[in-house]
Amino acid sequence: MTEAILEAREVTKSYRLGRREISVLGGVNLALGQGEMLALLGASGAGKSTLLHVLGLLDPPTSGEILFAGTAAHSLPAAARASLRHRQIGFVFQFYHLIPELTALQNVQLGRMMLESPLGYWRQRRAVREQAEQLLTEVGLSERLRHRPAELSGGEKQRVAIARALIADPRVILADEPTGNLDSKTAGEVLEILFRINDERGIAFVLVTHNEELADRCQRIVRLRDGAVIG
Amino acid sequence: MYRWYLALRWLLSRPINLLGMAGVTVSVWALIVVVSIFSGFLVEVRKHVRAVTSDLTVLNVPPSLPYAQLDAVLRSDPNVAATAPRLSWYGLLHPLGKRQEIAPRVRTLDAPAGDVPLVSLVGIVPTLEREVTGFGQWVDAVTDPALRVPDAAQPLDRPPGDKPAILVSERRLRGEFVGPGAVAKVTSARLGERDDRDGGMQKLAAEFTIAGCYTTRHTAFDDLTCFVPIETLRRVMQLPAATSVSEVVVRCRDGGRATATAARLERRLNAERGGLEPVILVRTWDQLHAQFLAAVEHQRSLMKLVLIVIMVVAAFLMFATLSMMVTEKTHDIGILSAMGAARSGILRVFLFCGLSITAVGTGLGIVAGCLSSVYLDSFNRWLRATFDVDLFPPRIYHLDRVPYDLDPAWIAQVAAMALILGLVVSGLPAWRAARHDPVESLRHE
Repeated sequence: MTEAILEAREVTKSYRLGRREISVLGGVNLALGQGEMLALLGASGAGKSTLLHVLGLLDPPTSGEILFAGTAAHSLPAAARASLRHRQIGFVFQFYHLIPELTALQNVQLGRMMLESPLGYWRQRRAVREQAEQLLTEVGLSERLRHRPAELSGGEKQRVAIARALIADPRVILADEPTGNLDSKTAGEVLEILFRINDERGIAFVLVTHNEELADRCQRIVRLRDGAVIG
Repeated sequence: MYRWYLALRWLLSRPINLLGMAGVTVSVWALIVVVSIFSGFLVEVRKHVRAVTSDLTVLNVPPSLPYAQLDAVLRSDPNVAATAPRLSWYGLLHPLGKRQEIAPRVRTLDAPAGDVPLVSLVGIVPTLEREVTGFGQWVDAVTDPALRVPDAAQPLDRPPGDKPAILVSERRLRGEFVGPGAVAKVTSARLGERDDRDGGMQKLAAEFTIAGCYTTRHTAFDDLTCFVPIETLRRVMQLPAATSVSEVVVRCRDGGRATATAARLERRLNAERGGLEPVILVRTWDQLHAQFLAAVEHQRSLMKLVLIVIMVVAAFLMFATLSMMVTEKTHDIGILSAMGAARSGILRVFLFCGLSITAVGTGLGIVAGCLSSVYLDSFNRWLRATFDVDLFPPRIYHLDRVPYDLDPAWIAQVAAMALILGLVVSGLPAWRAARHDPVESLRHE
């Protein structure tokens, strides 16, 4: 494996429910190489989504470390974690999570808006727009730029979410069951896009899935059971 | 960039936010219009009061002190341009032969002066009075030739017949008397030298011929004041000294220095008398009417307070709609967090929402408030002509137009108050939004 871009060391995560403490992750060790396509397999409740949120710095670990490019990322201040997440990590969710008031193009552009001041964005607005249009064209949505999420099918929404994850040019994309809500044909098309991106852009992927067949196409499979890596 | 962008998109997609904006607009509009009308009214009132009052008035003058002596001291001050003696007393004035009803009828708006016989009799020397006050202009201001004095230069000259002249206001003349030449009787009383079985009360009575009338823009002054020659009033009041005055009115060369001049004159006059009682007072025109002017000013302050409460209500409305918006947008907050938005960024999205609502509402309110103030008079004329409805009846306020005074400092204060209030009420929902757990927010449906 190449040098790890994202690494979890002895990561635990537990939640308190009343007086009970529920352990979701118990000492997970995981390293994602640069440009690697890693499948995270596990049954429902195994802790896949929690691990993804911890790796994506959305949720802090109860103990253990998250390293991004060798640097401890979990202990960074909140604003620095947010910045790192924005510049280096993209998310693709099962339920797309697009902003309903914005068109497909605007949802994608929003990612770049987060990087710029109003004046800086104004200066680059044409370039950003072209980049967003190009990304949407890459995922096959050149005809749906001005449609809002409510006017798009599930597959189309997921493609918008992928384009949005790509606009900040991240080094890692964390995909939480990206095809879990799609029919098999659409799921296949979306997966092809993800594999192509991995291949062409060298972006590392953590692909959470139940699907063994899909996992087999990835470079590496990590199985999770009851919050622990089993292989 | 995304903060402003999202704030505007979310605002535009939720028409309920217009409620908060409308609330801010209405409260700012009301604060500007009502206060500008009140300020305009206050300006007019001050003008009217100023018009009937001299720069300085010397009060509490003892009857034994001759006017000539006072005049000499007053004129020695470099800021005194002219002085005039006055003798003031109260009486009941009614046309000769007309019996006063036992209980005077209640004064009405339409017949304000005629039914009230109580008058302030002001004894003056017309030639000196016109040098100090607007007396000459008040006499000249009567436009109806049938009511004017025959000789405006000598308005209190003895008219034909054996009775002295009296000058009443145009309002009183129209309401009570037939016209110039009519005879009016003044009845009054004063405490005599000895304390006899009537409590020392001396009845005073005299008959006058109405010489004509005068008019000022100060209705209360007109309703109360009648001018008579000072020597006539001295005789009627049976004053022992032929030079007695009760006050002296003074015109300053520089009205801007009237307050300092008043203080200086008061010191000098009392020093000349060796500190004897009663203490002579010298008051500027605004000191003389301070209580009345303060009452109008106080009403304006109360009105401001009431209207600020309306603004607070509007702010609560905004708070409610923004809080609702934060709840509705919980899921989107999770999305933004996943995309890398910091808590401060999310906080600012909602702060911008609140500030945008406030800024637009305030801007609209200011524009509407200024336009309403400027065009309210035209609107009122149209209402009067079309529907016979009057927002500012002249018979109540005695003004021929709706007054207004737009004060830029007040407009700036209102705008700042609205923006600060908007910032405060949007701060709480914004802070709540920023505190959302991103993972929980993503799960929120």
